[in-house]
Amino acid sequence: MDNMKVRQICFYFIAMMPVVRFLVYPATLSYNSSNDLLFSAFINLLLEGAAVALVMLLAKKTKLSLFGLIENTFGKISAKIVYALFALFFLAAALLPMMEQKNFVLLVMYENVPSVISFAPFFFVCLFACVKGFKSIGRMADIALPVFAIAFVALILLALPQTDFSALLPIAGVPIKDVLKGSLFSANWYTEAAFLLFFLGNFEYEKRAALKVISSYAIGSAAVLLFLAVFYGVFSDIAIRQYNAVAQISKYTTSFTSLGRVDYLFIFALALVMIFRLCVPAQMCVHCICKAIGCKPFIPALAVNALLLALTIFLNYSFLEVQTLFTQKLWLMFLIFAYALPAAALLLKKRRRAG
Amino acid sequence: MNKMVNKLWTRIFIVAAAVLLLLFFSNDFGLIDIQETAIVVALGIDAAQEGEGYDVTAQIAVPASTGTSSAGNVTVKGVQTVGEAVAELNHETGWYPTLVHCRLILLGEEVANEDVFNVLDYFLRNDAVEDSCLVAACKGKARETFQAQSPVGDISASAITKVLSSEAQATGIVTVTILKNFAVGYYSESESGFLPCITVKQEADSQGGQNADGAFAPAGAFGKENAPYALSLAPSIKRNKWWRAKKRPLPIAAPVSAEGGNQGSGGQGGSGKSGSGSSADVFHASETMLFYKGKRVALLTPEETLAYNLAATDTDYAYGSVDVSENGEQTSYNLKMKISKKKRKLTFENGMPVFTFTIRANARIADTDKSQPIIDVAKTLLVNETILRAAEEKFQSELASLWQKATNAGCDLFFLKEKLHRFHYKRYAEFKDGVPEIVQVRYDIKFTSMK
Repeated sequence: MDNMKVRQICFYFIAMMPVVRFLVYPATLSYNSSNDLLFSAFINLLLEGAAVALVMLLAKKTKLSLFGLIENTFGKISAKIVYALFALFFLAAALLPMMEQKNFVLLVMYENVPSVISFAPFFFVCLFACVKGFKSIGRMADIALPVFAIAFVALILLALPQTDFSALLPIAGVPIKDVLKGSLFSANWYTEAAFLLFFLGNFEYEKRAALKVISSYAIGSAAVLLFLAVFYGVFSDIAIRQYNAVAQISKYTTSFTSLGRVDYLFIFALALVMIFRLCVPAQMCVHCICKAIGCKPFIPALAVNALLLALTIFLNYSFLEVQTLFTQKLWLMFLIFAYALPAAALLLKKRRRAG
Repeated sequence: MNKMVNKLWTRIFIVAAAVLLLLFFSNDFGLIDIQETAIVVALGIDAAQEGEGYDVTAQIAVPASTGTSSAGNVTVKGVQTVGEAVAELNHETGWYPTLVHCRLILLGEEVANEDVFNVLDYFLRNDAVEDSCLVAACKGKARETFQAQSPVGDISASAITKVLSSEAQATGIVTVTILKNFAVGYYSESESGFLPCITVKQEADSQGGQNADGAFAPAGAFGKENAPYALSLAPSIKRNKWWRAKKRPLPIAAPVSAEGGNQGSGGQGGSGKSGSGSSADVFHASETMLFYKGKRVALLTPEETLAYNLAATDTDYAYGSVDVSENGEQTSYNLKMKISKKKRKLTFENGMPVFTFTIRANARIADTDKSQPIIDVAKTLLVNETILRAAEEKFQSELASLWQKATNAGCDLFFLKEKLHRFHYKRYAEFKDGVPEIVQVRYDIKFTSMK
């Protein structure tokens, strides 16, 4: 068994879950929901939180993995098919955040326009993580927590002097239709319940584990909401043009100091946590392939990373199309795989059939 | 055996990952050839001298081993967009322009007659220039402003950014604006904004101790307060003199020594090396240009600029002079003020909008124009009520003056429409077209003596 600790899952939700929502997500949300972006985000967080709670309830009732549960209910072939479908889903879920991260690194960390291949080293790290399995997610979460806590607090503190929270007013000034559209079109950034579903059977359920995980999820969600509020407070009407939000919010405080962009230290630290987080869907994808076809992880890991690298290069100039596809067209896929299926897993048979 | 091979692979992976991450984060792949790169420190945009379009001047830092800072100005003329100018810079000079170090965008006077976002949107469309860079307008042409000679050896862009420093903002002398904030104002409900207005004044010879080319009248011509400047051998930056009655007209800025440096033409490079120690120019930014829908609509005087800063920006400390009649004699007091509270609130009374300035400040006497008994000099922290009331009145009158000026010009300087939208959303539709003209203004200003 690829064991994780409940503590590590908690750390994952506090530190690794929020970072993927710090790049393009705030600007996308502003585009749809304007100053009511917090409501849109809250709807997503509430739905995802409910799915996380249901998965933890399932974890309380069974020690089986998802594969075991499906096998138990529908048979082994069905389990393999479901895992194959999830493998495709995770591959898709990995793509957009990866492209976001690539653009972030190339735009923010490089002075001149660098070659797209500069991002390639990430895939070696990802390959390593994919080969090592779920245990590495737990270890990454252990490392990520202190790094995230320090960097996030520092960036928010640096951004606060430039933040005008009144930019979030008027409350409910945006039509409810647009707020819901904002939620729907950002479903692709909410895949954590699906990840948790695959942690089933890979961690020992301990006393009050559900409470701990849900509380951690709430802390991570609060970090996301705080970030969004500060982001909109800093940029208000021009928020929609602020891609790479995490690199933007704090710069107005530091630019004119004699220290210069000291906030880059914290941005780099968060970029490291983002790299950890980006590996997770790829790891899930490799895990699903291994289970579906019954093989060791190295070859699937190599194939998945090669494919993602190829897609990242091939789609280098098509970020907007990819973003539009994922946000405005594929939202139903994300609703099904990230919310509905984790919630429906509670209906699976929780005990092994006799014989 | 198998276990050993696995361990070896793990170690190889870890070392490889560490090395790759180091390269990934250190930007070692992104080294630039400084010989082929033009490090643009400031961009000036003017209306084209001939025909339509723009003349864009890039001030390019020239790295030197001697430690002396210098810069060259390259002007690309007659382009339709700023983006075209940046590309042209590369084509015609062979330098690849890097704009990440651009700290200043300077708009010529004529550009401000049209919507300035015709040109500024270039900087919002891409991240070539950080939107934390300073934006300012200037009198005359930006190209000529860049050719001015700083008295302290700085390149002109650097000297201007010092004039627009956060310290200057903190003392209320200038209203500093960065691109992001200016864009936020432009795209807000108020569609208004302001930029510091740079003027170049040829003050004095930085070594010779003579007035520069006779641009200034003799010292006596401007009365007592100007004498020290005129007599000074070194160039100096004139302090903001708000609240002081203008007994004589202020000196008029000398014609800019614009043609001092070689200027580029149609992309030809030129050098505008500054700080050589001959004639020296001083940059003033104490006036503020107001904008509505991207067009300039009014100009605040230095006095109004300071009043605006005290009422609405980050200025907390400031100096101001006030004239008080004592025993039939006029005495001028220079006060040091610390703003302890500033608030601007839009409320509704009897269905009509009311805008209230609430300002609390502590004051102490920094100087007077007359000698006083030693007991009064010792009690410099204590300011008598007459002086405090005079200060309040003066502040209110400057604030009222700038309010009137901005409102008449259509500029929503205090962002009332935005406040209406945020805090009184239900009334927004009803009043959005009347604000700020129909708003009743109230001033609640109280100065107290420092204890």
